[in-house]
Amino acid sequence: MRTFIQALSLFLFSTLFVFATYRLPDWLPADIYLRLDPLLGMNAVFAAREIITRALWSLIIIGTTLAMGRFFCAYVCPMGASIDFLDLLFFRRKKRQGIKAETHLRRVKYFLLIIFIVAALTGLSLAFLMDPMALLTRFYTFFIYPLAITLINLILDLLRPLFRALGWVSLSHLHYFQSVYYMSAVTLLIFGGIIVLNRLAPRFWCRYLCPLGAFLSFLSPLGLFKRRVSQECNECLKCQKSCPMGAIAEDPRLTYLPECIQCRTCANVCPQKAVTFPVSLSLGGEYSQIDFSRRGFVYSLAGGLTIGFLATQNPFTLRQSKFQLIRPPGAIPESEFLRTCIRCGECMKSCLTNTLQPCLWESGLSGLWTPKMDLRLFPCDQNCNVCGKVCPTQAIRSLPLDEKTHAKVGTAVLRKEMCLVWAQNKLCLICDEICPYNAIVFRPVEGYRRPVVIASKCNGCGFCEQRCPVKGESAIVVLPDGEIRLKEGSYVKEAKKLQLEFKPDPGDDKFVLEESGFKVENKEKRNILPEEKPQPKKLKGFL
Amino acid sequence: MGDHHRMMTRRQFLKTGAAGVALGMAASPEFLVAKEEYDLVVISGEPVAATKKALEAIGGISRFVKKGQRVVLKPNMSFTRTPEFGATTHPSVVVTVAQACMDAGAQQVLILDHTLHRAELCLERTGIREACKNISGAHVLALQERKFFQEIKIPQGKVLERVEVMKELLDNPVLINIPVAKSHSATGVSLGIKGLMGLIWDRESFHSRYNMNQALADLATVIKPQLTILDATRALTSGGPGGPGEVKKPNLVIAGIDPVAVDSYGVSVVPWYGQNFKGRQVEHLLIAHQRGLGKIDIDQLKILKEKA
Repeated sequence: MRTFIQALSLFLFSTLFVFATYRLPDWLPADIYLRLDPLLGMNAVFAAREIITRALWSLIIIGTTLAMGRFFCAYVCPMGASIDFLDLLFFRRKKRQGIKAETHLRRVKYFLLIIFIVAALTGLSLAFLMDPMALLTRFYTFFIYPLAITLINLILDLLRPLFRALGWVSLSHLHYFQSVYYMSAVTLLIFGGIIVLNRLAPRFWCRYLCPLGAFLSFLSPLGLFKRRVSQECNECLKCQKSCPMGAIAEDPRLTYLPECIQCRTCANVCPQKAVTFPVSLSLGGEYSQIDFSRRGFVYSLAGGLTIGFLATQNPFTLRQSKFQLIRPPGAIPESEFLRTCIRCGECMKSCLTNTLQPCLWESGLSGLWTPKMDLRLFPCDQNCNVCGKVCPTQAIRSLPLDEKTHAKVGTAVLRKEMCLVWAQNKLCLICDEICPYNAIVFRPVEGYRRPVVIASKCNGCGFCEQRCPVKGESAIVVLPDGEIRLKEGSYVKEAKKLQLEFKPDPGDDKFVLEESGFKVENKEKRNILPEEKPQPKKLKGFL
Repeated sequence: MGDHHRMMTRRQFLKTGAAGVALGMAASPEFLVAKEEYDLVVISGEPVAATKKALEAIGGISRFVKKGQRVVLKPNMSFTRTPEFGATTHPSVVVTVAQACMDAGAQQVLILDHTLHRAELCLERTGIREACKNISGAHVLALQERKFFQEIKIPQGKVLERVEVMKELLDNPVLINIPVAKSHSATGVSLGIKGLMGLIWDRESFHSRYNMNQALADLATVIKPQLTILDATRALTSGGPGGPGEVKKPNLVIAGIDPVAVDSYGVSVVPWYGQNFKGRQVEHLLIAHQRGLGKIDIDQLKILKEKA
């Protein structure tokens, strides 16, 4: 039963993950697991110092945990499910010694929780490092998802001859876009590490490390259902050995309530059928206390404060522009963004074009795993606004398409010394051709037609940067200059105020022709050799 | 395709076609008058009606598509633009041709383009996939993966010696080019011959490595559509090829076998960038003409002009 619910939850998590992409229906909250996570919610609310609407969903989990105990870990948590299933796969037969320093290790998660909360109060978002929901979403985004695409395409390639033979035209041309991310290896190592730790003790992560589990532990003794052992117990200790959380005390009749996740493994293994989980209003006395030392508490408090301070004390933090960082459209102002973003990676998964990539330290240590746009890799599509839709803390605002179009992320700048037209007189026009906003036009410069960027029409989508045929760095790059970052209010209005216009504007090229006195020399008809200079005062392609 | 075989089959095809027409004429003399052969047919009217009429006037789709043949249609659906931008072929034109091909007994109709923007979005925004979804046997595909392309030689190439083309072109399907009429900031206009670039893999080297106009003529020596149907129902007369730009409405559908002639006529139907041009003034068309790929002077062509 429990396994079934767990599998169902993992399936739901995965399905929502798959749906988090372009054309996500407005009614479907693909980020629901992240919204439900109270640790992520608290982290964002404390760090941002304001109420985040989507984070209020986590009250559901808080409420149900208050009522029913720490059931979340055993039934709902997709990370817990992954750990359990992989445990079954890898370590079922292994004999595990158990850990001697059990009580000490157990405290680690509480210390971590305190550190994260304190750091959040100083304005540093840190919980993402170890929050299971953020961790798993990142693992899915950076590893499982690209891997799945690779495998699917591989299978499609293998079956292609068959599809062709059968005349299944669409299938024989089916190919899924392969997403790539910078941090696949790191993410795999972290997740792999969590799984390998199970070799030492089942659910090692949940027992000793998970800060979300730690938070739920605080609430769990208030829950209604509590483990009770009847007189039938013959102290065989089977329950104690099989408890994945190590929540059963020396005396198997007693339970460490904060650790108990109500998985009922003990009830199932008990030969005497002595274990039940009846409703009980008692708080469980000393066994419901969380046993971290006062010293530990003070240390972790100090630790949180120190980390919060250190994060502001590095040269990157105030030098965001040093790395020419381009944030996704709708990202709130940088300092708020860093506080609010929980680094789940959902935006990067959902990104239609795969331009969203995780930061390493481009925005300082506090910006690890935040999304940036890598426009040389891929552009931002003007018909897609999904990154905001799936952002569980609205660090990227969910915007209607028109608003998103006006959420300028930067401005394209032409590097003339690298541009094929400016520097080499080539017939290149790719940036002009691809620009969806007509922000690049050809203008006569000293008798030659040259591409120039009209900054007021450029919203930084990056099609030009991506498509520029110059090898290596692009000859036209989007720089954060001119970006619009609003915490609230309309981007359309703001853009109007700034006299920007990101709309189709017919006739711009015509304007150039009329104003510049271009004349076409009709009589002269000769072939232009490849290396010959283009003639001045002449339209490209016409003789 | 495109090498010697292709030339042979094409010639054979034309011969058989001519024989068929001759037979037809012999059999029914009144047909002779109706089916007078034109170099170009220029039909004005709404997209569907004009396209139907154009097909009829050029000799009926069955002149090109025989029962059981595979057909490749090459519309322009390269941009995530809706039809009113004039950057892509009107879906009604495409669907009319596709339906006609199926009605003529085609085994299947593949509607192909190597799109510049993301494939899915192009198919969605241009309206072409939606328009063709009810035609069984017609498949709208935007191919953006190299594995769907294969290299062929260009024996008569001046700047291009080889090019990777869509594999679907390799076994001599009936190829019908359905470009949209639009301006282009490197080649002046983008009509049928420029549209052939949507059938190859490496589009970028045309801009960065080669003289594009020569390369286009090279390409036209190996990719030879049996029929070109130019959608000039709208013409993007500036801001091309992607738009946004000025969209005029010539309301014309121009069909012909000679790709240079169709394009050359297309140049004449609207002013581009506010100026009138002739086909001879478009460099890639002139080069194609000079290399024997078609007629460029439209006053020497036999043209049927009618209303749909």
